Amino acid sequence: MTSFAGDPCARCEEVLQPFLDRELSEDERALAEAHLDQCAYCRKRYRFEVSLRRYVRQVAAEPMPLELKARLAALRTPLL
Amino acid sequence: MGEAASETQARRLATEARDRVRFEEDALALSDQVYRVARHLVGSREEAEDLMQETYARAFRAWRSFQPGTNLRAWLLRILTNLNIDRGRKRQRTPETQPLEEGDYFLYNKLEAAVGDGDADEERVVERLSQDSIVSALSAVPHDFRDVVVLVDIGDFSYADAAQILDIPIGTVMSRLHRGRRVLKRELAEEAVGAA
Repeated sequence: MTSFAGDPCARCEEVLQPFLDRELSEDERALAEAHLDQCAYCRKRYRFEVSLRRYVRQVAAEPMPLELKARLAALRTPLL
Repeated sequence: MGEAASETQARRLATEARDRVRFEEDALALSDQVYRVARHLVGSREEAEDLMQETYARAFRAWRSFQPGTNLRAWLLRILTNLNIDRGRKRQRTPETQPLEEGDYFLYNKLEAAVGDGDADEERVVERLSQDSIVSALSAVPHDFRDVVVLVDIGDFSYADAAQILDIPIGTVMSRLHRGRRVLKRELAEEAVGAA
């Protein structure tokens, strides 16, 4: 892992996804948080990612047809 | 068979029946969540419904191989993704080496430029994307990448769970996720503001 020392915004862009996925180590996470605290440019893009993910999840949440639910329930082993 | 032996046998059968009913109820309780993932792994609602039925039929037959206490949702999705591949979905030779030039901020930068306001609220920027554009952009992501994106971003699975479900190394999950999200963003940018 490279540090935030050279080009911190480029580094922040690089770790943004694992950061949001909660897959960064404690140390990396702290570095990303510290950068986001002080950089409005990256913070804006971070907030956009949060909104985008929420939106994608919401759009994707198509409810299961009730009829399919009934068909799945019918696959259960009959009780004797 | 002696009386004691047949009583033991009866008790064993009763326990098994109870475990089985519990397993089936637990699996059915997760069906909404499994469907949400299934729906975006395949192209149409019909395919998703067929896949769900096959998955649950197989899961109910194979219920003994599920280890209680482990992740049932991941277990069901492992069956589902395997069936999806068996159903003739060719494993695409997706060019994982071909570079994608856009960085992670690419979509935001494009949309912000289109909104023409550097101070625009992020929610307003997201609203430039229609619901249809999200669905069609998702379906434009190559299968191998999409599987990972759908499991992590829609199914909310960890990298480790996704690796187990798809039977691929965690490093592959990370690289496919990375590329899949980039492709998704490129598609969204094209739909929202044109390919320029």
